[in-house]
Amino acid sequence: MLTIYLDFKSPAAYLAMKPTLALVGRLGLEAHWKPFRTVERDVPKLGKEETVGESHRRVRAASQRAIAVKYAKLQGIDLKFPETLGGSDLALGMLSAIEGDPLPFIRAAFKGYWKKHEDLDDLQIVQGLIHETGTQVSVDPSKGRILLDAAQEQAEEAGIVGAPAYVIGDQIFVGREHLPWIEEIALSL
Amino acid sequence: MAARFQGERTIEHVLQSDAPLIVYVDIKSPYAFVAIRPTLALEKELGLKFDWRPLTLDIPSYLGSAEKKKGKVVASKGRSQRTWNAIRYSYRDARRYAERQGLILKGTEKIWDSTLPNIGILWVMQTAREKLGAYFEAVYPPFWRRELDIEDIAVVEACLKQAGVDAAGFAAFASAEGRALHDLLQPQFHSNGIYGVPTYVLDDDILFGREHIPYIRWALGGRVGEAPDIAYEIA
Repeated sequence: MLTIYLDFKSPAAYLAMKPTLALVGRLGLEAHWKPFRTVERDVPKLGKEETVGESHRRVRAASQRAIAVKYAKLQGIDLKFPETLGGSDLALGMLSAIEGDPLPFIRAAFKGYWKKHEDLDDLQIVQGLIHETGTQVSVDPSKGRILLDAAQEQAEEAGIVGAPAYVIGDQIFVGREHLPWIEEIALSL
Repeated sequence: MAARFQGERTIEHVLQSDAPLIVYVDIKSPYAFVAIRPTLALEKELGLKFDWRPLTLDIPSYLGSAEKKKGKVVASKGRSQRTWNAIRYSYRDARRYAERQGLILKGTEKIWDSTLPNIGILWVMQTAREKLGAYFEAVYPPFWRRELDIEDIAVVEACLKQAGVDAAGFAAFASAEGRALHDLLQPQFHSNGIYGVPTYVLDDDILFGREHIPYIRWALGGRVGEAPDIAYEIA
């Protein structure tokens, strides 16, 4: 089994979907999708007086965005960051409560955030995603944040530090760049 | 910025070189450590000469600082629990990939000043370019086994000699021309979009991390077929 942690507002998790699903399909893996709340930040504005640390964080954030856009383009995705970063807590929390195949909901949530720049922390929007995708959930969507808090605590205790994260065998990997090793482990199990 | 001689090349700008690829590394970076052999292998595979340069990280400015003794943290400044968790994961991750290369990676006991061995990169590039791989092998693995005091110039000179590089004149270089070139590069990084190592400068692309090696191979190999996604290649 391959456990995959994701956050809909994480560009890295978004760009990991296609290669991850390709791996899962190719090897016939059982995928278990879990939520993990990442910290996404806007690119800080260039200050008049910056410390080295502030400058580092600004340049790093800008670079990470540029890289994400570059590789998104290679996947045929026109990646546009929302002007104001939205939330994803409610939708993420509901991921824990899905009965049946979560993929239609996951795809719709990623599309909602990255194509329509929807706020996935908005109850109406999340209810809409559940309805549109015909997803069955075991808990009322208004309880999504409580579910996420519990899932987040468990994930952090398990050693998850970001998304996308993969757990296979006794190994944790953060980032789709690890897919070659993940594939190697999957083939050995 | 004044041009500085670097072997057969001049360094005029952190993003410019007549080599097909600029590679920035720092001896004290575990990410750079595990990127060295794959990047050298790529250089050999493509039959190219990359322009290797030092970038001496100012780690406390963005990750806080810590000092360890006998594996225990005895002093820490400016690090949240989340930062600590991320740092621990990063080290574990670099360690397992190092082990796949037959290397040992032990967490450092302090944040080292890697200026001297990094100036050593400039020295090797100027005086014995063909020995660069040997120099990296003389410095990186023992440093990450905690066997080298890289702040001691005699230790760096010994590494140069071990790599078959003439160390006569290195001390003077490290305090004058080499130091000046190293210091000339450092303040230019952030303003040109570079913040860590390994960083690969490929035309207009600034790529942080060895996960871009598949893309670099594709680009330098003529851009045939579909461009690959990021990946840590495994042997």
